[in-house]
Amino acid sequence: MRAGFGILGFALVFGFVPWAGATVHDQLFKGSFDIPADQPASVNAAARFLTQATFGPTQADINYLMAQGYGEWIDEQLAKPATLGEPTVEAVVNARTAGGQKVNNTQRLNRWFWQAVYAPDQLRQRMAYALSQIFVVSDQSSSISQYVVPLTQYGDMLAQAAFLPYGQVLLNVTYHPMMGRYLNAYHNVKATFVGSVQTTSPDENYAREVMQLFSIGLIMRHPDFSPVLTNPLDPESTIPTYDQGVITQNAKVFTGFTWSDAPQGSGPPNYSGASFYGGGLTFAAQYAPMACWGTELFPATGTGSGNMRHDITTKAVLGYGGVGTTNTIPANQTCAQDVTDELSIIATHPNVAPFISRQLIQRFVTSNPSPAYIARISAVFNTAGNDLGDVVKAILIDTEARNPPALPATTGSCSTGNCDAYGKLREPVLSLTAMWRAFNAKAPAPDQYGEIAMIGYGGFLGNFGQAPYESPTVFNFYLPDYQQPGVFADSNLYSPELQITNESTSYTTSNTYYQFTANAYQGMTNPRTDRPLIDLSSLTVNSNNPAAMVGTLNTALFCGSMSTTMQATMKSMLVNLNGASAQEKAWSAIYVAMLSPEFATQR
Amino acid sequence: MSISRNSRRDFLRNMGCLACGGTAAALLPQLHMMGTALANTSAATGYKALVCVYLYGGNDAWNMLVPFDTARYNTYATSRSGVYNATTNPGGLALPLPAASAKIIDGNDPSSATNQYFLHPAMPEMTTLFNQGHLAFVVNAGSLVKPITMSDYTANSANYPAQLFSHADQTNQWQQAFAQQGVTLGWGGQCGDVLKPGNTNAQLSPCISIAGANRFQVGISTIPYQMSSGGLTNLSAMCNPTPCNGVSSTSVRDNALNAMLQETYTNDFAGGYSAIFQRGRDLNNLLSAGLAGTTLSTTFPTGNSLAAQLQTVAKMIKLSVAQNYATRQIYFVTMGSFDLHSGMMSGTNDHAALLTTLSQALNAFWTSMGPSDVNAQNNVTVFTMSEFARTLQSNGSGSDHGWGTVQMALGGGVHGGKLYSNGGGPISGFPNQALNAPNNFSRGQMIPGIGVEQYAATLAQWMGISVSQCNTIFPNLTKFGANNLGFV
Repeated sequence: MRAGFGILGFALVFGFVPWAGATVHDQLFKGSFDIPADQPASVNAAARFLTQATFGPTQADINYLMAQGYGEWIDEQLAKPATLGEPTVEAVVNARTAGGQKVNNTQRLNRWFWQAVYAPDQLRQRMAYALSQIFVVSDQSSSISQYVVPLTQYGDMLAQAAFLPYGQVLLNVTYHPMMGRYLNAYHNVKATFVGSVQTTSPDENYAREVMQLFSIGLIMRHPDFSPVLTNPLDPESTIPTYDQGVITQNAKVFTGFTWSDAPQGSGPPNYSGASFYGGGLTFAAQYAPMACWGTELFPATGTGSGNMRHDITTKAVLGYGGVGTTNTIPANQTCAQDVTDELSIIATHPNVAPFISRQLIQRFVTSNPSPAYIARISAVFNTAGNDLGDVVKAILIDTEARNPPALPATTGSCSTGNCDAYGKLREPVLSLTAMWRAFNAKAPAPDQYGEIAMIGYGGFLGNFGQAPYESPTVFNFYLPDYQQPGVFADSNLYSPELQITNESTSYTTSNTYYQFTANAYQGMTNPRTDRPLIDLSSLTVNSNNPAAMVGTLNTALFCGSMSTTMQATMKSMLVNLNGASAQEKAWSAIYVAMLSPEFATQR
Repeated sequence: MSISRNSRRDFLRNMGCLACGGTAAALLPQLHMMGTALANTSAATGYKALVCVYLYGGNDAWNMLVPFDTARYNTYATSRSGVYNATTNPGGLALPLPAASAKIIDGNDPSSATNQYFLHPAMPEMTTLFNQGHLAFVVNAGSLVKPITMSDYTANSANYPAQLFSHADQTNQWQQAFAQQGVTLGWGGQCGDVLKPGNTNAQLSPCISIAGANRFQVGISTIPYQMSSGGLTNLSAMCNPTPCNGVSSTSVRDNALNAMLQETYTNDFAGGYSAIFQRGRDLNNLLSAGLAGTTLSTTFPTGNSLAAQLQTVAKMIKLSVAQNYATRQIYFVTMGSFDLHSGMMSGTNDHAALLTTLSQALNAFWTSMGPSDVNAQNNVTVFTMSEFARTLQSNGSGSDHGWGTVQMALGGGVHGGKLYSNGGGPISGFPNQALNAPNNFSRGQMIPGIGVEQYAATLAQWMGISVSQCNTIFPNLTKFGANNLGFV
């Protein structure tokens, strides 16, 4: 049975026309003398919000948020245009190439970190980073490792789509040639036959992961993410969302894709010059949405140059009731219609809202959102006319985000309510950007190729276990369901970022922080030119007043939440560093603070 | 004692211990009892180590071990969409039939009609080790809940594991050796639970990963120690080892860090982080100098991540034996990029390149275990795991996710030169590779004849774990015909 919802209407929403914006976010500005109704309760509360919503609070942003209130601040951020990386990276790559210099992902990463620290559209950039951990592509795959410029543009695509409806994001991701190359929709072709014997079948990679990882997951879910059970008493009685048969059928949808500039030949009857495996000749062609060689371009019976690579047979794809149920995409449609149908079927599946909402909450707020929190966000997600901008706003202003539970008095067992798994381990990448922003890191001047160096001490993937667009696999750096052995696994709680935290990375991550603090501050002898230099003056000004230094640190990096025990430890350290220079006291304070368990945690 | 092994959580619940505090220290007495209760009554003698080489992405094992005789080779080649040729058949996945000199003979099969095979030409080192009797293949193994045939499969979905063909789930099922959802324990970690009371040094986990977090090494009380293949690094501007005396700035910072790591944290993320960091500091103190002073005479291939990991394993084995840290250890190393949906037969990272890396790394490790170097060839068994083999049929330039696969075991204790394909179930032998043959699917995804637990229990028993202990660690093992495949 064909899916009985408004495919045509949905198709209108899709497509590559510039997004008109179904939702107009409130952009009314208040006069500066008004005190907004939702003003943060304190400067520390503002800093805490900005830790969730940006790449780290700055004093300027804290002041601005205090004046605007949460709602206005978010609405203004939702309306800010995307800061783009591709134009800069393309110019740098071209200049380096012309100058005989090697090009690699350092160029992309330098720009990415620059944007993280300095772009004004902080929430949009942060959302794009969150989406990049769901719609994963990675330069660790040899199929795209050399595509530095188009991979940068994939990030721009996510930033530009960050607040659009989910279905639009899924469509843009699906058609992007970097995703195509990463998960093999690119150059995927219909089944081939020798005589009547089928010798090949369409590639199943994208067909599987688009459902398992990008949209619905493996089992049927309630809006609060709890599994649908056939027997309420048996937690194992889950319902798979699909089976291998659906994958094989779905694989037929994602056939016929190639570079947008692959020559399409001279037209009927011979299509001479058509070259499915050609194209990709310019950067623009390498990031433009892929062309699909379906019946919109070639006759269904075409052969040779006129071979129509898309599979136009009927397809029994994902159903809404779990395994055993299907929707049908009819035969003989164009490729674009097939893809639109399939993605609208996926995007309409009841799992999408809880599956995506939960992961976004995990990236911004807490690894262990309550079912009620997820359900509230799912409701926003599913409200007609809403987009991901509405979703992220709801995530950030939710009471569970804004009002953390009090820390329990003593550590203990979660079964007695005496543990605290609220919040999350900070991602090392976000710890670094937060430090840079808190201490007004000044980037070096552009080099002769126009490149601004940010990561002179590189190797983030090895040292941190993560780096933007460098996931080891499509399963991201960590799984949303990772449970650290010990209290998390014992209590059935989740701790994604702990998956990349181990005895080895705790050292290499720390040593990376050292390189960007002790070895990168303004006023140092022989200052580095390959990384930003932080400003220690807010600490050195009080170099003979350890308590004041700790106070500065507490505000800048801890949202005022540093425990009295840690304050005493830090103060004692600074007292005992009495032989050190003011600058060494300052960088020691920042470096040791960054290694602390309290800074490692975002709560 | 009888315990549920679904998770450490269930174990703790069964021990009535959930309310008695979440810290490892509070649990140690009970966990130690657990270890003692399960420990082999005959004391472990001599040193033994397992080294798990996990091939992430699903190794296309049907191109690693291929039938050589004409009839079966032709079936193979047809199902793989013909022999690959860059110009005439770029979609073909079959390897060309090699010269007869590349042929290997399955020592378990006297029939020349069915005992001839060849290995992927990228693996000449493995061919040699097979012919020398040090390498064995376990054929058509995969995750199962019990032995089944195609009719069982089609009759009831309860007859086969959940989420077949999914990387993450099938990886978990291999690392658990238990095809059930909701499990958090790995079989290596549970072996560690049993074996570690025999290890002299309680600080060093019996499970050591050179490849990051993994489920395989998580036990009830065992948490893997995670190292880098680069060895141990110093902590910048801190004491190495810690603490250091005096009033230097380094010492002052170091004291502050240690004070914070030793604090108790009510937030579990802070607590989890500090526990890991503290463990890192303790083990750096224990191992750093010794590991830096441990050298090997074997040259490992460069530019080979797996070889670098195995080199660190070899050093750790040498150091552990020399310092008597342990009598039983379980190591974990990995290789990725096996998910070759495209570019399987061509390009710089094709299957041949991966198998070259694998074969050269394993060969170097075997050499390093030799009498002139670490001298532990009979004490160490290396084995592969990978979540599934792949479709025999091509998708045009690669293969998709399959099920039953082929694994390798290498070591002085391995009864090599043989294929092990009979687990006592209804499917046995090297599978019929015709598409839609009785026990495979339309694209040549094989129903396994051997359960992961049979493979794992064989290795566990070599480590000294008893059959009854195996029946606890592998709850479904008794449903299979053989609890030991006999390859080691």
